[in-house]
Amino acid sequence: MIDKLEDYYTELHTSVKKGDLWTRLSLLIMGIGYIVRGQIIKGILITLAEIGFFTFTFGFSMHYILKLSTLGTVQREEHLDLVTLTKTVNDYDNSLMILLCGIIGILMILAFLHLYIVNIKKVYKIQLRKENGKHINSFYEDVKSLLGKKFYIVLLALPSLGVIVINIIPIIFMACIAFTNYDIDHQPPTYLFTWVGFDNFKSLVTLGDSTTVTFGYVFIRILIWTILWAFFSTITSYFGGIFLAKLINDRNTKWKKMWRTLFVIAITIPQFVTLLLIGKMFGDFGIVNSFCESIGLTKLLVKIGVLNASSTCIPFLSSPGWIHIMVILINLWIGVPYQMLSATGILMNIPKEQLESAKIDGASDMQIFWKITMPYMLFVTGPSLITAFIANLNNFNVIYLLTSDYVTANMQFANSNAKESDLLITWLFTLTNDYSNYKIASVIGICVFIICSVLTIITFRKMIYGGREEDFQR
Amino acid sequence: MRKRFLSLVVAAGMIMASLTACGSGDKNSTGDANKNNGETQELSDEEKQAAIDNLIANTEGTVDLTLWCSETQEYQDVMSELVENFKKEYKDVDFNITVGAQSTATCAKEVLNDVEAAADLFVFPDDQVNDLVKAGALQSVDATFTYDPSQTNSEATVDAATVDGKLYAYPLTASNGYFLYYNKNYLSEEDVASWDNLLAAANKQGKTVGMEFSGAWFLYGFFAGAGLEVYMQEDGKNYCNWNATDTEYTGADVATAVTNICKDEAAVNCSNEIAQAYALKGDMIADVNGTWATSGFMEAFGDGYAATKLPTFTVNGEQVQMSSFAGYAFIGVNAYSKNTGWAMLLAEYLSNEESQTKIGIATGEAPSNLKAAESDEIVNSPAISALLDQSRFAHLQRVNSNFFSSGGTLGRALKEGEYDDVQKLLDEAVEGITQ
Repeated sequence: MIDKLEDYYTELHTSVKKGDLWTRLSLLIMGIGYIVRGQIIKGILITLAEIGFFTFTFGFSMHYILKLSTLGTVQREEHLDLVTLTKTVNDYDNSLMILLCGIIGILMILAFLHLYIVNIKKVYKIQLRKENGKHINSFYEDVKSLLGKKFYIVLLALPSLGVIVINIIPIIFMACIAFTNYDIDHQPPTYLFTWVGFDNFKSLVTLGDSTTVTFGYVFIRILIWTILWAFFSTITSYFGGIFLAKLINDRNTKWKKMWRTLFVIAITIPQFVTLLLIGKMFGDFGIVNSFCESIGLTKLLVKIGVLNASSTCIPFLSSPGWIHIMVILINLWIGVPYQMLSATGILMNIPKEQLESAKIDGASDMQIFWKITMPYMLFVTGPSLITAFIANLNNFNVIYLLTSDYVTANMQFANSNAKESDLLITWLFTLTNDYSNYKIASVIGICVFIICSVLTIITFRKMIYGGREEDFQR
Repeated sequence: MRKRFLSLVVAAGMIMASLTACGSGDKNSTGDANKNNGETQELSDEEKQAAIDNLIANTEGTVDLTLWCSETQEYQDVMSELVENFKKEYKDVDFNITVGAQSTATCAKEVLNDVEAAADLFVFPDDQVNDLVKAGALQSVDATFTYDPSQTNSEATVDAATVDGKLYAYPLTASNGYFLYYNKNYLSEEDVASWDNLLAAANKQGKTVGMEFSGAWFLYGFFAGAGLEVYMQEDGKNYCNWNATDTEYTGADVATAVTNICKDEAAVNCSNEIAQAYALKGDMIADVNGTWATSGFMEAFGDGYAATKLPTFTVNGEQVQMSSFAGYAFIGVNAYSKNTGWAMLLAEYLSNEESQTKIGIATGEAPSNLKAAESDEIVNSPAISALLDQSRFAHLQRVNSNFFSSGGTLGRALKEGEYDDVQKLLDEAVEGITQ
């Protein structure tokens, strides 16, 4: 790493030191080194890019970058002239814009600096080629090589741009908001928000002065539930899917295609519809409860002490514990068909010879399943299992739609605008959507990001690194 | 989801970027510090006419305005009709007015999502006034030009639209709030006078009475009725003395009273749609609800359909009248509107007596205009007269969202009645409400 950095700067140093007049002039006008050596179009394009960068920075983003340290100082003031019925507004600062455009501006500057340094080295190389009498590519040849030998650059350009715009800028942006006081009392464009350092993180990890108003108490509990949920929902639908696929694939099962189709239909109905419907069905006054009551199940549960004597219904989605188990069970309905489909494909691909030779050796069906089928399945689906786990950490739909009617009975959760069944992601949503508490939501967002990325890196390293792919093929 | 949220944030940011990029350049900085001193300014009739004439003279090209109002067909139709009339009123100006559908319940949220892209005018319930003012989204009504809202509307309505002594919206209807629907085939007027009688009568007939006890909005009726308070203070935090021990009825007294009602077998804690379903089935013969449920209960109770003020309830052996939140709908003008002047004139037009009567007849919502409220169609509706009756005991809803989170949990705890120390429960709830 350090070697590379050293090379980077030595190269730059030699380029500037040993470069001739034109190469050095390229420090000022970036394209000039190309133009004098015959690469006219390339030179013009690079100079245009340079001009474009300076206009962007000094005409637009510098304005915001300079204000980044305070996030704006001039609050909006308006005045309605009652004689002409027209309104005048002062030239106010918008903290959100300053933050966003400031970040974009700084990223542009960094990108430009890199381009600038690379450019000098390139120009110096061309100078060397010219001196040594080697061939210098014309613009046409450059384009040709981009579409031929270097086509990967063209291919990757768009995705990289997408990653920067869709991922990197928002992540930096969100990370920054976690250090501000952006909440309901500081909403741009009318009001300003500003930097508050680590205050929001402190309020999330400390218990504070108050005994009940504490995000820390709720945060740790929601974090634990989020991980439990992701683990159990992934495992249950994974094994559920495999067993279902085995069941349908079994040679004694008739109408295989029909069963499979039925479960695929379950996928095609939008989750919003199914989940809202199931949520209503399992509500305190829902159809399941009235059924349980009419067959006497509710009374039975009261009698054996599972429910309180005063209960008139089974609190499927209205009591902690019940709600946790129910969402995992209901999630099976959503998750199993997908797992079944992928498991079906993989099960069909298990080498027949292996299964047959195991049978000849006298292995039972159970032994075959645990010794051959499962290891094979686990190996093939390992990475997708991890993706499923990560996706379940952020499984917004199931939790939010099923528990939207649930009112928590725990005052400490209520005081932090959360409930026991919340995942970090749904808590984050409630905080932003209903309580405009962007600062705490950003801190939670950062936590989710860290958890997800650490888990992904660790597990993918274990699964894919170390040539384990060849392991199986042997 | 995280990515979706982020991209939304950034997308919103980008949109704002493009808007401010073209907008901020030509906004003139006001040299004079001519701030409003808070009061609506009194202009003479000549000045008012002159202001309108000035506005017409200074208007070039098409005036684009967007109006958000409730998504129901009745609302959309009557608003479109009124907008057409408004255009006829100012024939010399070329208008392009769009009527958009926006649920009033989530209006403030939508407006605050991106105030610069939101509609120029929007209809919203009065409990959103504070959030909107707090975010600077409402144009204050510094002066009016065609009529004076503070003269024609009831005082309570105008108060509800006023924040810090400044009028921020044009009163439109006075129909938000709750009261008691009941089936007069089963219940007499005496039965619906108190919770005790109501529950006894329901029990005798094997029927039920509904109310969303676990909703902070409804729970307020008990505590406020007993003289306890919750409201938002100037610093934006709630004041709440529901845990008071030195009041005529202490918080613990009221809490115990609520639990006693909920323990009754006839009392069912349920939300609006479930209550309507039960009423339709014939199980439920009374429910605490609002005007939005009118058609549902009309259908369910048939010729027994009736409505009245909320019943009294027993605290420490005494009968106490339940209170409630009073609610109004307003028209607000977006502070970021590009055509503030025209938006204000349109808001005035839509909320004047004639328009309010038309809206009231079309939608069944009681007008806030005193004269419009006296028209026959409006006086003859049981729900509206029940609401007006209850409004004598109703208070303005001035609380921030923390009230609903912690208050709802308090309601649930009281409904289940499984607490050991009621004072501790109330203390914790108050701490959450006032955080």
